[in-house]
Amino acid sequence: MTTQETNPSDPGTGTTSLSKTTVDVLPDETAFLHTRGVSKSFHGRQVLKKADFRIDSGEIAVLIGKSGSGKSTLLRVIAGLEEPDAGDIHLAGQTVVQDGEYQEAWKELRGQVGMIFQSYTLWPHMNVLDNLTIAPKRVLGESKAQLLERAERALTEVGMAQHLRSRCTQLSGGERQRVAIARALMMRPRLLLCDEITSALDPPVAAEVLGVLTKLKEEEGIACVIVTHDMAFASKAADRLCFFEDGLIKEDAPPSEAFTNPRTPGLRAFIDAIRF
Amino acid sequence: MNLAYSPDLGVIGPALPVLLDGLWLTLEVSTVVILASAVLGFPLAVARMSKIEVIRWPAQFYIEVFRCTPLLIQLLWVFYALPALLDTTFPAKLSIILALTAHLTAFMAETYRAGMQSVPTEQIEAAQMLRLSRFHILRYIIVPQAFRQQIPSILSLNVSMFKDTSLVSALGMADLTFQGNILSTQTYRPMEIFTMVAILYFVVAFPATLFTSYLERRLLVSGSRGAPPPSSGLRSTLGRLRPGYRPPAVAGTPSTPTAKMSQPEGA
Repeated sequence: MTTQETNPSDPGTGTTSLSKTTVDVLPDETAFLHTRGVSKSFHGRQVLKKADFRIDSGEIAVLIGKSGSGKSTLLRVIAGLEEPDAGDIHLAGQTVVQDGEYQEAWKELRGQVGMIFQSYTLWPHMNVLDNLTIAPKRVLGESKAQLLERAERALTEVGMAQHLRSRCTQLSGGERQRVAIARALMMRPRLLLCDEITSALDPPVAAEVLGVLTKLKEEEGIACVIVTHDMAFASKAADRLCFFEDGLIKEDAPPSEAFTNPRTPGLRAFIDAIRF
Repeated sequence: MNLAYSPDLGVIGPALPVLLDGLWLTLEVSTVVILASAVLGFPLAVARMSKIEVIRWPAQFYIEVFRCTPLLIQLLWVFYALPALLDTTFPAKLSIILALTAHLTAFMAETYRAGMQSVPTEQIEAAQMLRLSRFHILRYIIVPQAFRQQIPSILSLNVSMFKDTSLVSALGMADLTFQGNILSTQTYRPMEIFTMVAILYFVVAFPATLFTSYLERRLLVSGSRGAPPPSSGLRSTLGRLRPGYRPPAVAGTPSTPTAKMSQPEGA
């Protein structure tokens, strides 16, 4: 767990607050993923300001915060979909990004990172089996029999074994999201990045998806970083809750602690705003 | 309107073989042009979407030139100006095929581009996250969806091209329109001859447009959840063209007063 601390008496986002919230995370070789000082700007607007974040294997970290606070950007930077302007990223004990530049190790290790998106990104012109097998077939060169067996296993893992040959357009939102998880699992990731994956789902369906992620964490030791606005989901899923504000992680604590005793004014205001 | 005009259908019989010869040439030219454009439009679309300016700009220039100038001018230019420019001669048929292909390729490229850009970015990012290469993403994710989505537009373009080949008659090519023109001046029966010419164009183009509508509905249905409604078949498409056709009432809802009013008497 990170050792970030923020002075509760300093609600500002100025330099003082910034230095207090970003420098206390020490390089940690035991973490599966560790970002240090990662920054990213879009059109002159700094969305991530030296974000420090770490996660261990078999851990679920939930990123919360207002829209535009930098949560999804951090996820996309970790995924390699956005190139950081500065900072280092260490993955599985190796440096994959140094001073904002991708290193050779990224090519080898990027397969350990899977991502699931907000909208169901299944390819609608393929059936479930093809969605699951096309990447391992083309990238890993696995045989048809091997792929079929693994696809069945992955779908069983997410409770969708009966839909192996279903068309994606016939599935409900929750089913599509579970197939998307199974598809990511086919590439054997050690870290799953989930960007608002339950935002379009009913609470019971969201609970099913949460069940899948928890099972993966417990049985496979897969680490999950989840961006969500669903606080019920966050409180149930998270081992750690990371509160984002103005491109910085302002608070990092277990959900029980973060929800009942927020240390920073920003998180306190955020929780007050979502409370009925 | 000359109501005293009495049609002479007797001219159609002798004219028909000549008109069919013209139709054959029209179909021949259309087929070559459509196939060539379908192939050439793809690299042009990819070039048009390239991030490299020296590739994108010429592609864009080409497309805009052919989109913003009349087809007849393009035909005339390739027929007369290009040989003069290159100091050579081309067979007439080749010139016409070149001009029509160049024209249709620009439109096909734009149709392909629209299809490719309609694939949601997140689908492409999901493929990137699964480490599929650019080629594989294009081959397995983008092109099948883009093509599927643009099939109706592509078919419409091709039907338009089939009809636009009539412009080649201005260059002396013995296509269907040219033959009709000759026959009408020979027989002094333009009404009968040009009606027959129009019917021949219609006989070829109508099934194609019908098929386009059918595909459009099929694709619309297959893109959504659930079983296709019973009205998505080709038979239903034909049925909609019946006079007095009314869409069936949705189960559980009464017929609207408007529907009752529009029902023909005695139906």
